[in-house]
Amino acid sequence: MKKKRMLAVAALSMTAVLMTACSGGSGSSTGGGSGEASTIKLGGLAPLTGNYAEYGKGFQIGWQMAIDEINAAGGVNGHKLEIEVKDTQGDAVVSSNMATNFAEDESVMAILGDFTSGACKANAEIVDRYGIVQLSPTASAPDYANMSKYCFSIMGRQDGEAPYLARYILDKYLGAKKIAVIRVDSDWGLSCYENFLPTAEELGMEVTVEKYASGEKDFSSLITKMRSVNPDVLVVMDQGDSVAAIFNQADAAGWDIQHVALGPGTSEQLIGQLTTPDNLIVTSPFFFDENDETLTKWSSTFQEQSGFAPTIHPACAYDTVYLIKNAIERIGDGEITRDAIQQALDQSENTGITGALNFTEDGDIVRNYMICGVENGKWVVLEGFDYANE
Amino acid sequence: MEYFLNQLVNGLCQGAIYALMAIGYSVIVGVVGMVTFTYGEIMMIGAFSAYYIFQAFGNNLPLAILAAFTGSFVIGIIVYKLCYEKFFNAPRHISLLCTIGISMLIKNLAQIVFGPETKPVLDIIENRTFTIMLGSVRLDIKLLQIVVILLVIVLAGTLTLFFNKTKWGIALRAVSQNKDAAYLMGINVKRTALIGNCIGSGLGGVAGILLSIYYYSVSATMGGAYSMKAFAASVLGGLVDIRFSALGGLCIGIIENLGIAVSAATFRDVFAFGFLILVLLIRPQGFVSKKGVRV
Repeated sequence: MKKKRMLAVAALSMTAVLMTACSGGSGSSTGGGSGEASTIKLGGLAPLTGNYAEYGKGFQIGWQMAIDEINAAGGVNGHKLEIEVKDTQGDAVVSSNMATNFAEDESVMAILGDFTSGACKANAEIVDRYGIVQLSPTASAPDYANMSKYCFSIMGRQDGEAPYLARYILDKYLGAKKIAVIRVDSDWGLSCYENFLPTAEELGMEVTVEKYASGEKDFSSLITKMRSVNPDVLVVMDQGDSVAAIFNQADAAGWDIQHVALGPGTSEQLIGQLTTPDNLIVTSPFFFDENDETLTKWSSTFQEQSGFAPTIHPACAYDTVYLIKNAIERIGDGEITRDAIQQALDQSENTGITGALNFTEDGDIVRNYMICGVENGKWVVLEGFDYANE
Repeated sequence: MEYFLNQLVNGLCQGAIYALMAIGYSVIVGVVGMVTFTYGEIMMIGAFSAYYIFQAFGNNLPLAILAAFTGSFVIGIIVYKLCYEKFFNAPRHISLLCTIGISMLIKNLAQIVFGPETKPVLDIIENRTFTIMLGSVRLDIKLLQIVVILLVIVLAGTLTLFFNKTKWGIALRAVSQNKDAAYLMGINVKRTALIGNCIGSGLGGVAGILLSIYYYSVSATMGGAYSMKAFAASVLGGLVDIRFSALGGLCIGIIENLGIAVSAATFRDVFAFGFLILVLLIRPQGFVSKKGVRV
């Protein structure tokens, strides 16, 4: 009898834990919602779990920081902002389901996110059908933003960054001729490579490429394969945990080669995950300059809330909220509808903490890039902006 | 030739980890008599137990292995109590579905408790490479690979001794072979099944720590893909025979890596599961002989 009672208690506590887990996982709006005319609700799509969890968590905190600031300063045109963040697990199918949920919820005025280009592209048809803006902080596939007038992105495009990697990092900075590329087998990875290859070939580089399925953990056979080609540089095109996994396994194999990555940006977590971080060079359109007071303050607030140093990704997420705010301000006394936000956003010219944010006709922006490396466990800019302006 | 030999070493090392996973899996299936889907999460718990030991006490590998074994052993008790104990006489799919649910619960709880991000496990074993010259062929073997293979051999050997030389081991084998006969011989079947489940889980935990050291990271979602490989290796070995399951793990590791050597890494699972299907088509009982030697 006593045993049965104990089991019942255990079962009850498991149920309680499960319910807590469910409510924590899906995220929830903080009261108000559709009933209150003075609150404008946004939907956030972010990979809070899975391979890209670091970036998803960054999105969530970046968005909330901007919303807290805006609301503390009296809101926008008298309205408060709020955001409900849903976990898309870095999966395009989950992301599409969540995007449909937001699109069908009439109280949601615009969608911010998702993280990957693949997920954003999968959602493009949905946001187009329902007529709601999907403003991604980080989608960089060149064929995303032009899929619908409701699709926007502020990361800059692969057809800018990938050729920059070939021309300036590999050719000019490193003087490499024989390149080994290991890339993730996804929309994004393919787009990176397709935009990289023409420039590399034009510069007379000899490129060997291998791809792997997303979520792969063991790269030892790929590394043995690449090593047999005897390249000058090892380039990894991916964003998540695989970047560190590949470089670490190359180190473990005793392979002394220059590491270059396209995708992760200046991620602090990446430094912590690498066995030889000082051997890494990345492209990045943005850098936390210690001499810039606004950026330093933003960065330390972010770090307090998240427990890790920010990359460009949460900074872009932060900027997307201000873009929506600016759009709503432009609507002025007019009715705030999904279409009104799309039109105001389309015309907007802004400056965010990540720099100038002026949308092209397609709905994305053109960025300039920098060469960043690691020195003594810290990201530093190896070369300035001037390359991109040549 | 040199290229293929180096790929063979990669495959051997990965196969050794698969083998350890498969041994643990086979012990569970053999003794409990039911298939489990919580194995990936059990490995993850083992890896995290070791991770926190590394954080607290530095690179103490023996202590971390003990922690991984204990952590997963405890999860084994919970899984047994929730998924198996009440369902021995129920249709098998009930406990199977139960393990799927518990697996999701553990994974989600781990993401909340441990955090969703991947945590680095660096420099546990010194990064040294030994070069062996076989005539003109140069073979590179990492210290890490040697440690992993040796650990797997020691653990598998200890387990074999345990099963053959101790009273508990013999009881476990008896339960694995015939629960009713074991019961009539005076063996406490439920308690023995609990112990078997926990030992299998503990070995899974040790496989988890090897995975985290070999791949330099732990994360709450790391278990999923590996549990399928453990299951496949175990099926190759006839599900309940630890020696053949270990062989199955080794074969899958080697086939995968040699497959990648001649094609692309995206085909890894095609080679692993293609090989499984091929073997099962020819020998439905797996590598094991028809008589079957359980545990």
